[in-house]
Formats: sequence, C-alpha cells, structure tokens
Amino acid sequence: MLLPVVLVLGLGPLLNQWHKPGPYNCARESETTQFGSTPRLHLLVRHRERQPRRLSAAFRFTTGRRRVHRPHKTHKPPRLSRSLRNSQIINPKAESYLIFRRFLKALQASMSSDSTSGEDLSDPNPNPTPTPAPKPLEDEFASVALAEPHNEVPEGQEALNGVANGPLAENNHREIESSEREGDVSGVEGRIEINLEVEEARESVQRGVVWRRTNSELEDGQSSPSSSGYAGERGSTSASSGGSGIDGIGEDEIQEVENEGSVSGFSDSPATWVPGKRHLDEDDASISWRKRKKHFFILSNSGKPIYSRYGDEHKLAGFSATLQAIISFVENGGDRVKLVRAGKHQVVFLVKGPIYLVCISCTEEPYESLRGQLELIYGQMLLILTKSVNRCFEKNPKFDMTPLLGGTDVVFSSLIHSFSWNPATFLHAYTCLPLAYATRQAAGAILQDVADSGVLFAILMCKHKVVSLVGAQKASLHPDDMLLLANFVMSSESFRTSESFSPICLPRYNPMAFLYAYVHYFDVDTYLMLLTTSSDAFYHLKDCRIRIEVVLLKSNVLSEVQRSMLDGGMHVEDLPTDPLPRSGSVSPHLGQPRDSPERFRQSYVGIGGPAGLWHFIYRSIYLDQYVSSEFSPAISSSRQQKRLYRAYQKLYASMHNSGIGPHKTQFRRDENYVLLCWVTQDFELYAAFDPLADKALAIKTCNRVCQWVKDVENEIFLLGASPFSW
Amino acid sequence: MGLSSATTATEAIKLCIFDLRRGQQEGQELDKILFFFPAHLPFSTQLSVIGLSEGLITFTRIFSPEAACEVIEAERHSHVFYEAEPDIWMVMVVEKNETEAIWRIDALQKVLKEVHSLFLMFHGSIRALLEKEPAGGLIRSHLYPFIMDYLRACQKRSRLDNCCWDFLFGKKLLLPSFRDCLKERGTVQMLTVSREAAIEVQSLVKVLESCAGNTPCYSLILFQDLLVSTTLSPVDTINLFTYAVLRLTPRALSSGVGSWSYLRKGSTASHVTTGSMLTHSASVSEQVYGLQDTSPRGDNSYYVARPLQQDRWSKGKDGFLVTDIWGAEAGSSTSVTPTVWLQQTEERMYLCAYQYRSLTLILLVPVVSIFNGEQGVSLLKQHVLENASPKMLKVEEKLSKGWGGENAYHVSGYRYLLVDGDRNVSRASPPGKVTTLTKESLLALNKVREEVDLEKHQMESDNAHFEKDMEVSIRAKNNAWVIARITKGKELYMVLEKADETLLYASDAVEKFSNRYCSGAFSLD
Repeated sequence: MLLPVVLVLGLGPLLNQWHKPGPYNCARESETTQFGSTPRLHLLVRHRERQPRRLSAAFRFTTGRRRVHRPHKTHKPPRLSRSLRNSQIINPKAESYLIFRRFLKALQASMSSDSTSGEDLSDPNPNPTPTPAPKPLEDEFASVALAEPHNEVPEGQEALNGVANGPLAENNHREIESSEREGDVSGVEGRIEINLEVEEARESVQRGVVWRRTNSELEDGQSSPSSSGYAGERGSTSASSGGSGIDGIGEDEIQEVENEGSVSGFSDSPATWVPGKRHLDEDDASISWRKRKKHFFILSNSGKPIYSRYGDEHKLAGFSATLQAIISFVENGGDRVKLVRAGKHQVVFLVKGPIYLVCISCTEEPYESLRGQLELIYGQMLLILTKSVNRCFEKNPKFDMTPLLGGTDVVFSSLIHSFSWNPATFLHAYTCLPLAYATRQAAGAILQDVADSGVLFAILMCKHKVVSLVGAQKASLHPDDMLLLANFVMSSESFRTSESFSPICLPRYNPMAFLYAYVHYFDVDTYLMLLTTSSDAFYHLKDCRIRIEVVLLKSNVLSEVQRSMLDGGMHVEDLPTDPLPRSGSVSPHLGQPRDSPERFRQSYVGIGGPAGLWHFIYRSIYLDQYVSSEFSPAISSSRQQKRLYRAYQKLYASMHNSGIGPHKTQFRRDENYVLLCWVTQDFELYAAFDPLADKALAIKTCNRVCQWVKDVENEIFLLGASPFSW
Repeated sequence: MGLSSATTATEAIKLCIFDLRRGQQEGQELDKILFFFPAHLPFSTQLSVIGLSEGLITFTRIFSPEAACEVIEAERHSHVFYEAEPDIWMVMVVEKNETEAIWRIDALQKVLKEVHSLFLMFHGSIRALLEKEPAGGLIRSHLYPFIMDYLRACQKRSRLDNCCWDFLFGKKLLLPSFRDCLKERGTVQMLTVSREAAIEVQSLVKVLESCAGNTPCYSLILFQDLLVSTTLSPVDTINLFTYAVLRLTPRALSSGVGSWSYLRKGSTASHVTTGSMLTHSASVSEQVYGLQDTSPRGDNSYYVARPLQQDRWSKGKDGFLVTDIWGAEAGSSTSVTPTVWLQQTEERMYLCAYQYRSLTLILLVPVVSIFNGEQGVSLLKQHVLENASPKMLKVEEKLSKGWGGENAYHVSGYRYLLVDGDRNVSRASPPGKVTTLTKESLLALNKVREEVDLEKHQMESDNAHFEKDMEVSIRAKNNAWVIARITKGKELYMVLEKADETLLYASDAVEKFSNRYCSGAFSLD
C-alpha cells in the first residue's frame, strides 16, 4: 500500500533500477546474499515467537524479494474502519443539516451512555478488540458523508498504481500484507523486519547499512521509525533492524546518556519521556481519553482517521467522522472553522487540501501556537510522504492513508513532545551547539567540501543542536524543515544503529518532491545528514561521510562536541558583571573562565543569575538561530521548565500577533515570573526573572545579556551560514 | 426589498435563542427556535445556524462538560455563545468582513448577557414563560419585540440614514468593536461627589425611603448618565442603571425629543417589521413567533409590553416620567405604571422615575405592598413630591456645582479604563478623548484585553477564589504604550500614545495615575 505512493512521489527512477541489470543492483544483490541474510534469519527466528504472521513477509524480503508477486487482492483482517466502507456518499451540501442532525444525535448518544446499549450509537466502540466492526457505528456514521472503498486494499492501490510506473507497481504488492494492522504495536514491529539490510564487506563488523525505500524497502522509510527499541514496550527488537548493535551502542547506553543529559541540565528530552504511542486501549468513550490534556488528530476529508495522539485511530473512526462533519458543515456555509473554545478547552482546526488536522487542548497555549503546531505536524507528514499524497485523494476520495504512515507514530509523538520543550517549534529558528569558533570552522570546511561535490545540504547535528551546516549554492534550508528532519531522524531508532539512505521531503524546500537523506550517527548524539536530489547517490554520500569522519576525528571536532554537551550552554549565573566586552577572553567556552564560575555561581544558588534572572532566549533574526540559556536552579524541574516554555510561547504569540505587527517591547509580570521581551530588527530577546525582580534592574540585566550574547556569538552561533540569506 | 441590501443585513449579524430541551423529535426542530434575527431568513438557514451551535455544544461537552462551547472562530464569522439559562442558549454570529469588524468576544458575550438580564428584569425568565405556555408562542411574542427594540438601540445612526429607519434593510449594528476597548459593558459609571454632596444625597435617600412608609423600597439616583447612589443589589443596580441610561436619563429622553419627527417613523417602522412583513418566509416566521393577528378581533394574541421601545418615555407635568408602554388604565387616560422583577429579592416592583434637570431618581416599591394599584402609586408619587422635592432641588444644585462636564474624568495624557470587578463599577476616559487614539493603539489594546480575558477565564475555572495579579506593558509598533494591570479584583487598561520610550517611564506614569486616581491600588509598593 505504501509503496505505490512512494512511486507516485518520484521514486520511479530508483525503482527502475531494480529491473535493470547494472552494477548498482548487482552489488546489492550479492551483498544481500552474502551478508544480509544470515543476520536477518537470526532475527527472524527471534520474532517468530511473537510475530508468526509477520515472519513470512519479512522473510520474503530478505531472501527472494524480487520474485515475490502478490495478487492484487490480499486478504486482510477486518478492521473497524471498514465499518464505513459500505456507506453511501451523501452530498453534504444538499443535506447538510440532516447530516449534522445525525452527527449530533450520535454525539449525544455517545455522551449519555457509558455502557453498551445495543441500540444505536450509544457507544461508538463497545468492543474492546479492534477487529470486528461494531454495526451501530457503521450504520450511523454511514451518513456522515464518509465512505470507504468497497475493498480498501485493491482500490487504494489502483489509485496509486494509476500514477505509478506500471511495471514497478507490481513489485509493491508484497507490502500489502505487512502494512495491515494487526494488533497495535505488533503490526508496526513486524514491518521493521522488512528492512533490507545490506552489510558491506568492508565494514561488515562495523556497521550495517540499511537500505531504505528501495523497492520493497520503500516502506521502511516510513515504517522503520516505528522500530521499537526506543519505546520501552518493544525494547527487545531494537537491535533487529540495525543489524545488530555491533557498534557497541546498545539501547541501554542510549538510555543512560539521555539520563545523564537531563541531569546535567540538558532538559531537552527528559529521560522520563518515552516516545511512541500510548493509551492505545482508549477511545472517545473512555473518560481517561477525554481527560487527556492535548489531543492531536489527522484525518482525511472523508473523515477517515489517519493519526491520533491517544487511542487507536481505527477505534476513533466515529470521532473522526464527527470532526469531519464539523469542518465540512462550516465549509458548506461558505466559511472555514478555525477555533472552538469551551471553558479551558480549545479545538483548533487546520485544513490542508484533503488533509484535516485538529488539536483539542486545555493547555492554555494561545491559538496561534496550537495552529503552528498543527502546521508542523502537517509538515512532518509531508516530510515522510510529500504533498503528492494529495493525488491519492484526488483519485480516490476514500483513500485510506493510515498504512502509509504506519509505524511513524513515534515520529509524531516525539514531535508533539517537542512542542513542550523545544523553543524551535515556535521561534522558527534553530539552535547551535556551543563550540569554539575554530572547531566549528573545521567542521564547516569539510562539510563545504562535500557540498561542492553535489550534496544539496550537509548537516552535522548533536541532538537537536546544529554543529555545522552547509548548503549548496542558492539552496536554503528553513529552520522548520531542520526541526522536522532532526525529529524524524532522532525519533527513528533504526537511524541510530546503521547508516541509512532514506527518501525525505523538506516541506518548505519543495513539498512535492523527495530528497534523499544519508544519515549516519558518529556517536549516540552526533549525526551527519547529507541531503541530495539523486536517488542513487548512496555510495557517493557514504564516501563523503567517510571523508568527513576522518577530518572530524583528526580535528577533534567530535570530542569537542561531546565536551560541549557536558558543559552545557550559557548559564545565567555566568552573566558577566562588568559592562566591558570580554573580547580577548582566553576562556575556552563562552567567554567565561571555566575555573571561576563555581565560586561565582554559588552566590546565586537557588535564585538564578543577577537581578533574579532565571532564563533567557536570544533569537538572531538574520541568522535564523536562537540560543537558549541553561535553566537556573529556580526552574530545575521539568514541570517548571514546561511552564516557562509555555509562558515564552504566550509571550511570543502576544508580540507577534497578526494584524498589528510585532510589538517592540513587552513587560509581563504574574505570580510566576517577570518576563521581558525585546524585539528589534536584529534580534529578539526573551528573558524570565523572579516574579519579584526589580524592573529597572531587570532591564539592565537584559541589556547585559544582549551584550554577552554578542561577545560570544562566534561560539554560540553558526556565522556566515544563514540558511535563508544564502 | 433589494436583494443586495437584504444579504448584507443577513450577513452582518445573526442572533438566535434556542432551547435544547425542545424539538428533540425529528422534524420538530423548529420548535427549538425561540428567537431568530433576521427573522426573514429561510428556516433551513436558521436551522443550520442552530444545528451547528447545538452540535458544537454537544461536542465540546465531551471534553469540557462543565463549560460548553463559548465561541467558534471561523475565517469569516465569529459565533458567540451564551447559556442564558440552563439549556437556553443565545448565539450571535457576526461577520468579519470589514476592517472595522474586529470584536472582542468577551464584549460581545456581554451584549448577550445584558439583553438577557434586561429581559429577566421586565419579563422574568425565559424558562418560566415557556412553562407558562409550552407551545412557545408566549415566549416568542415576548422575545421578538424585546430583542428587536434592544438591537435598534445598537443601530448605527448615520445622518444620511435618518430618512430610512428600517432595521432590516441592511443597516449596521453598533456592536462593541475594538474601538470600544476602553469601555466595559455590564458595569456602572459613578459620579464622584464631594463629602458635602454625599451627605445631602444620603439624607435624600432617607427621605425617599420614608415616603413609602413601612414598605421596603429601593432607590437609585443618577446625575446625567452617572450613578450617584443605589440601595439595590449590584445585579439589579446594573440592570436598572443600564435601562435608565438607555431610556430614562435626560439625554435618553432628549434624543427622542430632538428626533421627534422620525420617532413616529421609528415606531411605525418597528410595527412594520413585526406586523406587516411582506415576504413569504417572514409571514411564516411571524406565525411561529405568534406575532401575527390570529384572533378574529384583530388583536395580537398576546399583549406584550415593549419596555425597550425607543422614545416612549416623556417627562410629565409633575416631574415624573410617563410612558404608555405598559398601556393605559382601562377607562382613564393615565398610563399603567411599569413593573420590574428584582433578581435579588425575586419581587415584582413598581418603577417610578422622577426627573429634575440632570437628576433622575428611580423609586422601586413592591407591587404587593400597594393595595389599590395605580391609585396607590399616584398617592406614593404625591408623597414623594411633597416630602422630597426640596431635597432633590438641593442635591441637584450641589451636584451640578461639582459637575465637571463631559470631560470631567479626563486625565490628560492618559486614555484609560478602570474596572472594579467587585463593585461592578468602571470609569473611563471620555469617549471623545478615546477617539483621538490611533487605530493601531486601539487594536493593540483590544488584543491585550483579549489576552487578559483568557487569563481571567482560566483563572476562574482553576480556582474561583484566587485573585489574578498581573501586569502587561507593551510598546506597540506605533510606539504607544499599551498597559493592563490586574490586581485584587481591579483592572486598569491604559494607552499612552505620546510617552517616552522606556519601560520605566511607562511604569512611572501608571504609578502616578494609580496614586492619584486609584488610591494606590495599582502601585507596586
């Protein structure tokens, strides 16, 4: 199911290669047979115990991939969403009111009764198991202009095949089976196995190469992110796709480093947060589900669920239909619904062609922020599928997209998690890892070298922070794209364990086409991404990576990166007291002598920096970059940090409200903070102080922060590489 | 009826009241609708507005059972919800088609709240009227003229439009927009009086109370459009104050006098809208609202007083204000004394309003305590004239002396709004001064007020007893300082346009204002 879309999206040339004898294919073939199959078999055996049904598919892929030809009509287990498929399409315009009445009744019914009343819709989902379709739901929502193809699988495929290159399409059917959902987690897990793994002779012990999205693997590009490992409940499979943790980077270690990170003040991803989807057992009838603070939904314009943050999408078919009904009801009135507010709850709608995105939240975030988050979720979806997915809906409005995104839950959940800790999600800027100027220069130089040889973008990152970034001439990289790309790579466990070549789309760069990303982790946090337009550049990029790695090792960039991670960024306690610029500072780091701070800091223990400064974010407008200070002890818990983050978000929205343009200054005091914001043509400063802070002192301190940032800008920013003003 | 003008009328605003408990059966949905403006819209349109509203009320209750839908923001419209009584909803749909149509949701919600409060005061609760006559004709015949009269008060009166005063033909309503962000509906504006005058007022109140003998009565004294004294509960004070400013104070009366020529036009026009609508759908809707003549004698099936009707009050020879809104006593020329419901005591009271120059005095006496109806009322009036006249003259004189004119509360350099939420009192820069502000400043303040509204709501739903304390100072793009301060139930909003650049200067300005005019309520120390 997935494959055809990929074809549509422009993988044709790549796939064609499979059918032409050539050095490219031969190499792969032989590698597969020689090295690939053995470890796979081993893994498959492990899986057999838990996933017998998946096994066959996986096995096919690792061995006789190319000969497998599945018949069009593959048997699928019944699913809930099928309950809708026999429904008739009702012209919503003609009978919009009627439809809405029914939707209303459905809602009322589902609200009033908690238990199953056999009658109509009282419980949209009386059956805890996802398999059988409860009839009532089917009947009732049949009218909500929802319709599914009679036989989902083949129809969806036809739609796709129509666009896809004929011969190639045939290859794709093998995926059908694996893309079906069987149980929740397991289906995803199974798909991981489809990874075609090629171990190279040269590095057979060192690394596994995951070929993503070549022919059969096309799906992997999307599904592999699901790959286990990261998520606790599926932990044991983690090594599976990677060929093995040969690197010596086990999952435990990753966990450890993360813990360490958060302890040392990198609250980036608190160790307590486990990516992946939770509460799958819930649906809209469960009280716990209704009480979740922030829901995100993606659905199609026919009301089919595509993604839900909580609960199984298929169990939420009825709810999805309701959302669709609201949107289309307003649309039929010649309008477009943006926001519904009820008490502390906000329902935010975003319509992107055939894709509807909805957020239901009681987090008190401003509308603009929630809308921005929906935009990012949509962007993340495009990154995985490109906008060409719209064509599937043009061909077949009832197209079911869930399989296409199967297994990417973890990508979305990690993005959603970042909405509560990563300022990049609302600042639309990226941040750099603090490094000595020379170190970053060294990294930049080799990346530039590589970029000159036909790489579109070369990005070296450490977690979500950029070490260095280089783009080919005239190519510009939007910070949002970087955020989404980094999220995609970091949340997908399989990238960590092997070098990978995966089609991705940068929505702000070109939403219609795939680029190809070569991803390689140098250590647990540091990874290199080489982006190209050419689908067969894997070996070239691999060579580039080797060259880069050699240089990075030689010039100690990687060790400097690790050191910087340990040291952290700017500490408010280190804010220089004297107003003179410390231009000639000998300090290795951020203009501060590393031996003195201990003593210096002690005076502020518990109260943050001078004048009660707790935290600041400085965003350079020309550079598209921001720097965020470390959190002072006054806001050490992740809850406090999240609250501060939300306060910044509110402040940002308030400063940048549409219509009357950005304000210049804002001072805001409530029971939690004194917040100061200063927007100029060059920069934006957001600073948080103790709520009792003195206004005059706070202003002075802000001026000093700006000066400090300017003094150390060589180290905290990537200069001369503004992606926008390239 | 020009089609285009009709469209603008229908597009600009829709207002409906519906009862969720009614019309549950398929095909009986129309039963839900208690009021719909514009009434000439086809039922399918009316039902679709109500269907969407009802759907979203139900939908939002899934997540927020305690507070259902308050607003729908769409690209072209805002839908504002207000649950006036349990299961009785008022929904206003306003179009955002022009640059001036920028609303603050809270302000619109307060309009709905105000019209409902006034309705309660004159007619009692909607639910009670529904229970009195479950078919719904009674409530519809009350709501329709009442709300239409209310809306007419909001109507834009441009000079050119005087000739055509019909509400349904594409006239715009003066709903509170961002230009009114330095006003607060649902509050009372007080006159600041000197100590000396305050004592006089006090003794006048005493005298008034004694006029009614042993029956407990209430009084409300206004000078110009400002409140001087009240013995009513806060909620009843607001309602009566609102009504007085709308219809009773000298200014309200004189606007009628000044436009006497078209007063008649106005009242006939309103009859036109309710009585002789020509279009097909309209006459159908009138049947629904029970407005059409159905009885063989040609009378309306219900006699409904229309207290909000414009220009129906006038000053009598004795100084008491008279109106024929409530009809005339059978067999005599004296008109019936109006009555109102007090929310606090749930009593029906006679409303007697006396006016001397700028002074308006409202006396409320329980209906039950006056035995012989109109006669008893005139007796009471007589009493008041005899006992209180000299006092009233004195008070009027004192107040006039101390009265600083329309711009009395102007503070130069400041444009402000001060709201005391506990006492429901507000004071603001005079409207004439507020209009000097640029659109940008007003928009910025409107936005800040929206943010504060949200914060207040969230605070309310979190913890009813916790009092928000916050301060926002923004230097807008046009270099104006826009300031909001909330503390101990008091709110201060301010725009300083010609202020210095620094935040400290702006803070100082607020501090000075607070010390001087708010007894330091917003001072930091």
